Amino acid sequence: MSLGRPVVIEARGLGKIYGIDRAPIAALKDISFAVEEGSFVSLVGPSGCGKSTLLQILAGLVPSTTGEVLVDGVAVRQPAPEKISVMFQEATLLPWKRVSDNVEFPLEILGMKAGERRQRAAAMLSLVGLSEFTERYPHELSGGMRQRVSIARALAPDPRIMLMDEPFGALDEQTRIKMGHELLRIWEKTGKTIFFITHSLTEALFLADIVLVMSHRPGQIVGTIKTDLPRPRTYEIIGSAEFGATRNRIWKLISQDDREVNGKGMASL
Amino acid sequence: MKSLVLFVQIAFVTVVIGLWAAVSRIGAVDPTILPPPAKVAVALEALLRSNDFLADSLDTVIRVVAAFVIGAPIALAAGFVMGENIGVGRSLSPIFNLVLSVPQSIFLPLFVLLFGLGFTEKLIFGITHVFFVVAVNAMAAVRQVSHGQVMLARSFGANRFRIYRSIYLPAMAPQVVTGLRLGVIFCIIGILLAEMYASRTGLGVLLLRWGESYAVDKLMAATVLISVATIIINETMRIWEVRVGRWRNVVENR
Repeated sequence: MSLGRPVVIEARGLGKIYGIDRAPIAALKDISFAVEEGSFVSLVGPSGCGKSTLLQILAGLVPSTTGEVLVDGVAVRQPAPEKISVMFQEATLLPWKRVSDNVEFPLEILGMKAGERRQRAAAMLSLVGLSEFTERYPHELSGGMRQRVSIARALAPDPRIMLMDEPFGALDEQTRIKMGHELLRIWEKTGKTIFFITHSLTEALFLADIVLVMSHRPGQIVGTIKTDLPRPRTYEIIGSAEFGATRNRIWKLISQDDREVNGKGMASL
Repeated sequence: MKSLVLFVQIAFVTVVIGLWAAVSRIGAVDPTILPPPAKVAVALEALLRSNDFLADSLDTVIRVVAAFVIGAPIALAAGFVMGENIGVGRSLSPIFNLVLSVPQSIFLPLFVLLFGLGFTEKLIFGITHVFFVVAVNAMAAVRQVSHGQVMLARSFGANRFRIYRSIYLPAMAPQVVTGLRLGVIFCIIGILLAEMYASRTGLGVLLLRWGESYAVDKLMAATVLISVATIIINETMRIWEVRVGRWRNVVENR
């Protein structure tokens, strides 16, 4: 499934087994896919299918048991913050730091000078529309605003790739929809490659160019769907016949998996 | 509201001291048992000018400081290891919590037999008072550190040292300082107790001696002095505690 652009992330036969000594549990099995430069790829799957584990492997936070991840053709074995930023479901903002200091945190780790950090943080906060909140503490912000700070922080080191693990999963539906639009706006403006994990079929489809469908136990890719929906995406698109038909296809892939359909066969969809 | 609270507090203290003065003046209580405040004040002034008293005070302060300076770092290290290492923590922390509920004063006669009556005995008794409360709080503090925040820092390329400095330290600080504050108080309790039980020098032995010889004005003067000193220490540490824990308090009070 190609958009005709150069590949930035390549997963090759990723597998993850926990507890090798006794009662090994296969969390992921033979996961292979490619993400192209500047594309928006969603990964959708049921809760507990190993989505987060996969993201942590892609980020170099957790080693895989089999297979490898290549970013720009180089194997990822540890976090590569200059190329990849990660965003988690909870904002994981540091509650003792002000908003601007939170955004500066990755830059501080990279050893950037204070003046430059401040400037970069201000620019990122302006991009996510929070310029007026730089001196606030995280607890003074709403859930949606906290996730925007988190986006600004992930953007701050100027990585090419953003890995997002259900970033809007804890938000109410209205905020979630707004944040989706916001993310698309930022994505279009910055040209980042985004790999976005969610359990919401609508969210996955609404945001992405390509949707990877994952099954559970062990987690494997059972389908890859190119969305072919026009951009910029508007909320009305969710009600369109095309959107509904594609969502049904995804739903079938996920629910068929419950009836133990062979994962290998499905992968060719 | 705040000024009303302050008013009530001042009024309360004034009434208590006033009652005390009145009771001694009308002779309702034997003045050798309860001397009037003025007499205690005079005794207090005399104590502060007395080199002997200051020498004994210094002995006590040295014991307290030594026990804390030795005990607290060991306790912090032990608590950290128990909090970080699940195996060690799971096996040792119940024991620590149980030990914490035993009144340590009952070990004093044993300590005297083991270590004699000198500096060592008091130092070790003080250290045991500091140790458990600081260790248990440090352990709880480590366990509060958010796994998500550590993961996040790692994803930005933070090394172990950076994670300790930027995530562990601020996250742990409030609870660690609570432990240290209690540790200081416990340490003072332990040292004074050891001195009162059996000692040649120190504030504890003075209190005991003055009590036994009905030098109640001196006894009360020293009691007031020690009370004020411990309150100042405790409140100073509390200011520190509030400062490092401001982010946490705000979140909780929302």
